[in-house]
Amino acid sequence: MYVIIAYDVNVERVNRVKKFLRQHLNWIQNSLFEGEITPADLEEIKMGLKKIIDEDEDMIVIYRLRSADAMKREVIGVEKSSMEEVI
Amino acid sequence: MRRKNFYIVSDGKLKRKENTIYFENEEGRRPIPISAIYAIYALGSLTVTSKALSYLAKEGVCVHFFNRYGFYEGSFYPRESLVSGEVVVRQAEHYLDRDKRLYLAKAFVEGSIMNMARVLRKNGEDDTEVISALQALSEAEKIDEVMGAEAIARNAYYSKFDTILKNMKFERRSRQPPENEANAMISFGNSLLYSAVLSEIYHTQLHPAISFLHEPLERRFSLALDIAELFKPVIVDRLVFNLVNRKVVTESDFDDRFNGVLLNENGRKKFVKAFNERLEKTVKHRKLKRNVSYQRLIRLECYKLVKHILNAEKYRPFVMWW
Repeated sequence: MYVIIAYDVNVERVNRVKKFLRQHLNWIQNSLFEGEITPADLEEIKMGLKKIIDEDEDMIVIYRLRSADAMKREVIGVEKSSMEEVI
Repeated sequence: MRRKNFYIVSDGKLKRKENTIYFENEEGRRPIPISAIYAIYALGSLTVTSKALSYLAKEGVCVHFFNRYGFYEGSFYPRESLVSGEVVVRQAEHYLDRDKRLYLAKAFVEGSIMNMARVLRKNGEDDTEVISALQALSEAEKIDEVMGAEAIARNAYYSKFDTILKNMKFERRSRQPPENEANAMISFGNSLLYSAVLSEIYHTQLHPAISFLHEPLERRFSLALDIAELFKPVIVDRLVFNLVNRKVVTESDFDDRFNGVLLNENGRKKFVKAFNERLEKTVKHRKLKRNVSYQRLIRLECYKLVKHILNAEKYRPFVMWW
């Protein structure tokens, strides 16, 4: 499956969330990650995030897509990070 | 995240920061999520920090190094996480026992011949000459004779290349250095394939240095050479035909200022991209009844070998069925 994760968390924790997600997904822009993962990976990510954030204050949204083909991606302006495999 | 192969063609530095691998150079910094890396192919001049290497080792990521001419130099093969003494002992047994070794060597060559024939037929060429090498193969009683049968098939196979290739001359197979563009691509493709096979062997219990067709030499992971034989026609040669005949790679992608001809940086980039697409391309597997990628087919071949040496199921080589 393909997931898009956006987060809005307190500044105290924002960096920890970013660091954690960087291990698992592609960084797209501030507070936004995406990537192809397995359902097991998603559970792992969800558990990791729950440990970091304060569930009474912060918010994280996870959009789940069947696959990358199921979405149409368009970028306006400068793409901050590439996902190409040939660097 | 689904693990992918990364090909680093540009020059730069690979380092670890906060549990993420970064590739850095003057043009900028590119984070690569660790859980997205299956293997790394270093084709440019790459500096790797020891911190990055130990992190990659922990995650079981192989790094394959190529020199600036695109020739394979070696691999960073992390400490194995899949260790089975039994498999290694049995593997050695299948090498030491003359008949057992001959069986496997013949199987690799048989698969390789059948795949060459399939590739010729797919391109509308006559394959009888290639197929006829099977006769010599069945009569072979020594490894040398098996190699000989393979050479007969390969010569017949290569003699058809000039009719298949539309915009480039092939003439004959030349190596170290390749004499023309088509040969340069085949050589480069074969070394990429060798690394790809080695990455798959790493993820099994097989020992990469105990081989059956090739002599297990020192300083070489020769089992990867054995298995690569089966996939050269299917993956590399078809890719070369495709790139040449669709004019994706042209004369301007080569450099002939040396003794031989080699792909230049731009050509290498194009080739590597197409090679990766090919590895990720899927076909419907008849027995598993699901789509598997070409890369996965290589892994399945390793699993079949494990089953064979443990006497669970006799090894039959992979032959292209589509």
